[in-house]
Order: sequence, then C-alpha cells, then structure tokens
Amino acid sequence: MFHAIVRVVPGSVIKVRREEKLGFLERLYVPAIAKGLRVTSRHFFRNLRGFVTGKRRTDFVVQYPEERVDYADAFRGMPVLVALESGEPRCVACGLCEFACPTDCITIVPGETETARIERHPEVFDIDMSRCMFCGLCEEACPEEAIVMSREVEIAAYRRDDMYFRKQDLLVPEALLKRRLDFLRGEYRRASEPAEAGE
Amino acid sequence: MPVEVIVKTLFILIVVIGALAPVMTWTERKQSAVMQDRIGANRADLGGITVLGLLHPLADVVKLLTKEDVVPLGANRIMHLLAPLIAAVPAVIAYGVIPFAGVYTFGQDTISMVVSNADWGLLYIFAIGSIATYGTVMAGWSSNSNWSLLGAMRASAQMISYEVTMGLSVVGIFMVFGTLQLQTMAIEQDATFRILGFLEYLIPGLQLPAFLSAFPFVLPKWGIFLQPLGFLMFLATIMAENKRPPFDVPEGESEIIAGYFTEYSGMRFGLFFMAEFIEVVVIAGLVTTLFLGGWTIPWVSTADFIGVVTPALGEGVATGLCVIVHFLMFMTKVVVMIWLQMSLRWGLPRFRYDHVMDLCWKGILPLSIANIFVTGALLLLLGDAS
Repeated sequence: MFHAIVRVVPGSVIKVRREEKLGFLERLYVPAIAKGLRVTSRHFFRNLRGFVTGKRRTDFVVQYPEERVDYADAFRGMPVLVALESGEPRCVACGLCEFACPTDCITIVPGETETARIERHPEVFDIDMSRCMFCGLCEEACPEEAIVMSREVEIAAYRRDDMYFRKQDLLVPEALLKRRLDFLRGEYRRASEPAEAGE
Repeated sequence: MPVEVIVKTLFILIVVIGALAPVMTWTERKQSAVMQDRIGANRADLGGITVLGLLHPLADVVKLLTKEDVVPLGANRIMHLLAPLIAAVPAVIAYGVIPFAGVYTFGQDTISMVVSNADWGLLYIFAIGSIATYGTVMAGWSSNSNWSLLGAMRASAQMISYEVTMGLSVVGIFMVFGTLQLQTMAIEQDATFRILGFLEYLIPGLQLPAFLSAFPFVLPKWGIFLQPLGFLMFLATIMAENKRPPFDVPEGESEIIAGYFTEYSGMRFGLFFMAEFIEVVVIAGLVTTLFLGGWTIPWVSTADFIGVVTPALGEGVATGLCVIVHFLMFMTKVVVMIWLQMSLRWGLPRFRYDHVMDLCWKGILPLSIANIFVTGALLLLLGDAS
C-alpha cells in the first residue's frame, strides 16, 4: 500500500503529481469506502480483542497523570533559579534577564552581600508565571547559568496570586538541573565553534 | 388494546431507545478511540468505579443540566426555546412504526410487535423526518447569529434535497414488497429465495437442479439482496439527513462554529445532540427493517422455528422463545448498523458543501430513478418471482 520511501539525493528533482486522476472504482466512492472500512475495522476488532484478552493491542496511549513521558533536554518548561549547595541562588542580580524578558514578568531587587565571594545577590526575584511564555530568553541572557528552563509545566492554579512565584518557590538545587545545564553548555560550545558546528 | 400500545411504547422507549441512545455518546467516543488505537473515555468515576467509562454519559448530563441556559440577545425567545424540542421529538416518535419483533399468536390473541401497525408506516417516517428539518431551521433562524443562520440555510438545503432522494431510493423496496407497512415488509423478508431462481422464469421449461435450493445457493429474502443499490443509496441519504459527518455541512465546525446550534448552551444544546444520537438508533432500526430483514432470523422462518421448538417445549413457550430470539436478532442487527454508521462517521473525510449537493442531485437522484425503472422492468419480466 505504501510507496517506496523516496531517497532524497542532493540536486535531484522530485516531481510531485498534484492532480492525480482518480480511477473508475475510486470515483464510484463505495469501493473506496469499503477499503477504508476494512482498515479501520481491522484496527477496531484487533484492539477490541486486545481489550478483552489483554494481548496484541496496538494502542499507544500514555495514561497521563499516572504515566508520563520524559521530555527532551531541549524542552522549555517554567524558568527556575539554580540553587547552590548553600541554598542560595547563583544569581548575581545583574538584571539582564529582567531586561531580556519580552513580557516583563521578572522582578529583581538586588542586594549587597557582605561575606560571600559574590558581592551581589537578589533580595527579591519574582516571576509572574501567568505572564511568562516560556520563551527562554532569560536563560539565554543569563551570564551566570543562574536561571534555566526546567521541565516543570504543571503550574496551573485557581487564583492569579498562586501563579506569582517568589524566589523561594523558584530555587531548585543544581543537581536536579544537571541535564539542562549540560545541554546548554553543549549548545553554547557548538555556537562558539561555528566551523565545527556547521556540518 | 390501549394497554397493549402503552406497554409496547414503554418497551421501545426504555429498552430500544432508552438503552441505546444515552450510551451512544459513550459508543461514539469509545469506538472512535478503539479504531484509532486509543483507549477512549475512561476517567469518569463514581467512588472509584469507572465501568469502562460508561459513567461519562451521566457526567455529560450532569454537566449540561447544571450549565447556564443562555438565550442570546435579540433572539426570538419562544422559537429559540422551542427549536430543540422540535428537533428531538420526531426522532423519538419515528420509532413508533418500526417493528421490533414479528406477529405472534397466543391462544386467541394475535399480537404484532410494533406500536402502530399503520398502512402508511414508511410515509409516516418520512413525514416525521421532515418535521425535524423545522427544528433545525428554527434554531438557526431564531438565534440572531450569522453562523446559526448560515448553518440553518445549509441544513434546510441539504435536508430537503436528501429527503427527495431518500424517498426515491426506497421506492424500489416498496415495489418489491408491495407495501408501505413495515411489519408486513419484515414478514415478507422472513423467507428465502434461490439466487439462480430467476432463470426458471426467463427460460421456460427449465427446472433447476435440487441442490440449488439448498443452503449456499439460497439467500434470505432481505432488501439488501433484492435492492443492493437501493441499500447503499438509502444509507447514504439517511445519513446525510441526520447531518452527522461526513455530511456535517450544517454544523461545519471548521467553517461556521457549530452551525445552527451555535447559540445554544446547556441541556438545549444537549437536546440537539440527543436528537442526533436517537436518530442514529432510528436509522439503524429503519435500515434493519427495510434491508436487513428486521427481526427475522436468516434462513430460519418463524413457522420453522416454532415448528421445531414446539414438540419439546409446547406451543406457548415456543412462541415466547421465538419473540425473545427475534427481538435479540433485531437488536443485533441494529447494533451492527450503529457500528457501521459510527465507523463511517469516524472513517470518512467530510464533504465540501457543493460536493454534498452534487452527490445528491447529480449522483443519487438519477441513480435512484434508474433503480426504480430497472426494478419495475425486472418485476414485469419475472412476474411475482422477485
């Protein structure tokens, strides 16, 4: 039933037949319907038997809340702050993400740090998730790998206030974000070596 | 007599329509899911019990009943509120002339298992079907919305066109069975015919060998075998009459929101849906009666059945058993027809509006007229043989 997969050779021209002439049987419509019914009924009865006997079912449904699929590393969920082992954010409150954000959903109030190696830290770091569109520009703008896109997307809430995430809600230990950070480093490396990344 | 009618009406309302129509929303979801390699609705639960998702119709009804019932600004209030009823009621009452079992003799009483054994049975169904068009048109016209009006215009054009062809496509069946009464039609189909039997009438003096009267060369005298073209045309037209995909131009979700019931909400919206689902059951019953032999058992006539069972169980029990078997036979065929309609609904791409009209006026109408003439010629040629 399927035609052989056309192997695309660079430089070759593939002609697509736009107006395919229908044969007589196809124009009669009924044989075509019968053909289609055969396919759907085959699936129907195979799965029906599968539901009764429990074997050879061809459905591929993931029962979502109970079963989940793993998102790809490139997946952009809600932005979170990378927490150091001390529990403090890695963020230095430079404000670049705030500036990069197209929806103005990030609010940063910087503060001075006395003791630590880094002299600045965010006093306040809020993200209004009801406005965030998961574009990932904050992540790209960040020079410190301090804000990254997580794989978390289930942030629905009943009230608007519950969509307003404070610093404490956003902090995620670095270990949990390792896959995303590794992916980002790979991407940045590729971008900085265009000669190699090109091919 | 009135008691008998009431009992039969209740039986149809509760067992035939009552059991099938509400489950139809479940059937539609579940069947489409199973044939598309999905699982389908299975989440509605009542204290942890899901019963294969069978509680979804219940959840639907609860949801629809508790929703706000909006009448849009500028709508004709009376017409707007009346339209769903006019759309839904004909679907239910059409079942009155469809027989769900045969005619039986209990002692002195003869009971025909159909609510109304009217002479004009099939005409009644056509008449009632036309009333359903009013519901649709009223809904669209009274809603004060362009989408609704467009939907209603399309609906009226489509339904009226298809009513014409629907009537013409079953004329062949009237001619073959010589009646409009559905019970009589079903009884006519309670027989068999030899596939090659017509040769005896064409070639005088020819006597077909006896083995041609045995099982594989004998077919039940069903409408589908006598009028195969009529069957296809009738199924197509009556499905178009029901406005479900692939003939869903009046609803045209991708073009005009929901067509004639765009402005309906809550249970009034639900009534339009219920009407469609009940019509699916009615269509299944009607096609079964006209073309699939109704309640008859293929190759086993009523007299044979009672004759075989009587020596073992006595005549009363045998007749009773026959009623039950016939009813189950009828329901089986109805379920098969519902399955077919659902498969077509989920399997076929929808028609474009002009294609729907083309199919009706340029395809089915000439074919159905040709079918009438060919049937007439054959009947003339073969005499009463059919």
